[in-house]
Amino acid sequence: MEDNNIIEVRGLCKSFGSLQVLNDISTDFKEKQVVSIIGPSGGGKSTFLRCLNLLETPSSGEIIFHDVDLCSKKIDINVHRQKIGMVFQHFNLFNNMNVMKNLTIAPIKINGKSKEEAEEKAMTFLKRMGLEDKVNSYPSQLSGGQKQRIAIVRSLMMEPEVMLFDEPTSALDPEMIGEVLDVIKQLALDGMTMIIVTHEMRFAREVSNRILFLDGGRIDEDRTAAEFFDDPHSPRLISFLKKVL
Amino acid sequence: MGFFEQIVAILQQYTPFFLDGIKNTLIIAALSVVLGAVFGTLMAIMRMCKIKPLRWLATAYIEFVRGTPLMVQLMFIFYGLPMVGITFPDVPWIPNFSRFMAGIVAMSINSCAYVAEVIRSGIQAVDDGQMEAARSIGFKYGQSMKLVILPQAIRNILPALGNEFVTVIKESSIVSVIGISDLMYSTNGVIAITYRSLPCLAIAAILYFILTFTGSRLIAVLEKRMKHGRQ
Repeated sequence: MEDNNIIEVRGLCKSFGSLQVLNDISTDFKEKQVVSIIGPSGGGKSTFLRCLNLLETPSSGEIIFHDVDLCSKKIDINVHRQKIGMVFQHFNLFNNMNVMKNLTIAPIKINGKSKEEAEEKAMTFLKRMGLEDKVNSYPSQLSGGQKQRIAIVRSLMMEPEVMLFDEPTSALDPEMIGEVLDVIKQLALDGMTMIIVTHEMRFAREVSNRILFLDGGRIDEDRTAAEFFDDPHSPRLISFLKKVL
Repeated sequence: MGFFEQIVAILQQYTPFFLDGIKNTLIIAALSVVLGAVFGTLMAIMRMCKIKPLRWLATAYIEFVRGTPLMVQLMFIFYGLPMVGITFPDVPWIPNFSRFMAGIVAMSINSCAYVAEVIRSGIQAVDDGQMEAARSIGFKYGQSMKLVILPQAIRNILPALGNEFVTVIKESSIVSVIGISDLMYSTNGVIAITYRSLPCLAIAAILYFILTFTGSRLIAVLEKRMKHGRQ
């Protein structure tokens, strides 16, 4: 495993009005590492993830991506977001575009790729997922599992250096969870750096190098996957695991 | 003479009156809707922008215009503004130009507020996730709007805008009170000549209905065609 930090979080705080959701979080994410974030609802998991690509503006603190503080007003956040892929709980495929357009619009409009090049690349991804017959479908014609896999491909089309997953399987029917998790596992094997907010404990244990337990806006436990489940220290994590396992 | 014979008799003699009225009604309605849509779009943008004073201004305008009668607005423009020195110029080759201007301005000011709300709610009805997905992939705000949000919002906006057009056709009958020879004004003229108000009003109602019904059917066709293209 490489030791280069890809994202460094320093003293991250986020409040919504008087409600403090994130309370002074500092941590590093290393290249090719797969980190899962687990914790109770309202613990700040999603907010934390959304701060990493500035979908939420942190109240204070720094998010350093490639030596650049993303919170600085001097940088163009749009440039950096291209390198930070994000997958949402509710997929958020562009409803006004078919699958091919969903996959190719960003490479064409942002990176200036030619239509042929982008479509060829999209086709390669779709074939790998067995979704090539859906290329002309609109999001409303796809199942949840298909939508989420397409959404993952949409992020991959931009060749991100890190992928953020915000509860990628929480909105799926049980029989479709497997197909999405398999895609994420494959990405992990391919060496993609990933930060995953999830409720799938077995999956987290299987795929992650490291797991964070986020509760009350703080990182309560930060361990390797095996230690996290077999030897938890924090009493809150112990009681949480008792409930969910 | 029965009712229908009366209608036929009036139409035989006064059709040019009614046609002239329809022409003017359509001119006023079309110009008001176009101007209302253009300024309504600007107003909607102001209403949603980040600069607070602009937002307040737009909100105040929309609430005020929607909260006062069109009749008052029309009177204000036509009788009130000249009293403070603001007059619409007369153009020699277009008869009654200043009256028309006052009518169109009042109707546009009114329509603008409604269109702004139609556009705003159409845009806000698009799921937030669409904007988040577009931004997270690296699109700028403007690009996200143009490529993702507006194409979806237009499907919400267009039917409501069609309704607004139909409403403007009907409401435009009010400009007859400042002496613009629209369909209502012509109808009153024919009543004054023939003393037969019921058949004349029936003709006016039918003509208005033909205008609005045609308008709403056209919108429905357009809507269907748009839906078809997307699926």
